Amino acid sequence: MPSEKTLPGLDQAAWEELVTRFDGRMWAVARACGLGPADAADAVQGAWLRMVESLDGIRDPERIGAWLITTTRHEAVRLARRSRGERPAADALPEVLVPDPAASVVDAEFGRRLWLRLDGLAEPCRSLLRLYALNPDAKYAQISMRLGLPMGSIGPTRSRCMSRLRALIEEER
Amino acid sequence: MTDDDHLPTYLLAALRIAAGADPVPGRVSASARAAFALRLPGAVVASPAEVGPGVGARSEGRPAMHRFDADGLTLDVEVTVADGRLDVAGQVSPAPGPGTRIEVRTPGAGSSRVPSETGHFAVTGLPPGWVSVVCHRPGRAPVATRWLHVRD
Repeated sequence: MPSEKTLPGLDQAAWEELVTRFDGRMWAVARACGLGPADAADAVQGAWLRMVESLDGIRDPERIGAWLITTTRHEAVRLARRSRGERPAADALPEVLVPDPAASVVDAEFGRRLWLRLDGLAEPCRSLLRLYALNPDAKYAQISMRLGLPMGSIGPTRSRCMSRLRALIEEER
Repeated sequence: MTDDDHLPTYLLAALRIAAGADPVPGRVSASARAAFALRLPGAVVASPAEVGPGVGARSEGRPAMHRFDADGLTLDVEVTVADGRLDVAGQVSPAPGPGTRIEVRTPGAGSSRVPSETGHFAVTGLPPGWVSVVCHRPGRAPVATRWLHVRD
């Protein structure tokens, strides 16, 4: 029998520490992919199960956070495609997952800096992003009513506003 | 750049975390903590080799076929959704030797079956969500399929 290899020192307590550190971020990522609570719960659980099945292969404990966040995003995207009725050719699971470099922004401290930038944006960006960030389950119709924007323009406006916020943050990085 | 596609998602997540909007539900954390017990040290992990074309797990009663290959073993796994529960049927090949045991696992529970002489096995009435099939062979490393997500 092959010998037991896991990450050095990864016992139940160390695992629970990982959960405490990252499950809130993983949840936020799954929800930011547009999933409702049930699907988001499945995406987060899926990421932990991927970790369980990959334990022998994870060599870089420093990057576990980015790996978990990226894996959550992958599982969330797969679930979102499925609930749109698409049959994912992406039952294709990546054998080796390379963490997204951008995963490091999923952090409360970085989020606080983002809020400062967001509050400096012009309208409608400021209100739109604020509403969208604070109300994860808000529907376009509700946002449209609250802000007096045509429903069809919410999606494009939101992308434009996100790009603006992102440009501000990139200046800073 | 791939980075470009994901950054808005990650920025939105960061905003929500900082605002304390929509915190992670306790049951999600609880299943995350419990997942550690599901590891199978030394197991050979089998990736899906091929998926039956155009067959969706979404359609009631129509099975989704998954084939997994690893360590000289092929596991065919078929998951059917009926009344919100999962039925898992499959076959291990080549025909299993004595002492072989098939375990169908969900995060909450596992059910063990001795496969038939032809390698067939079935487990019914599982909760929807994540499923994995493990083939335990005497004196050899177990072969575990990667986790599959199935719900109606």
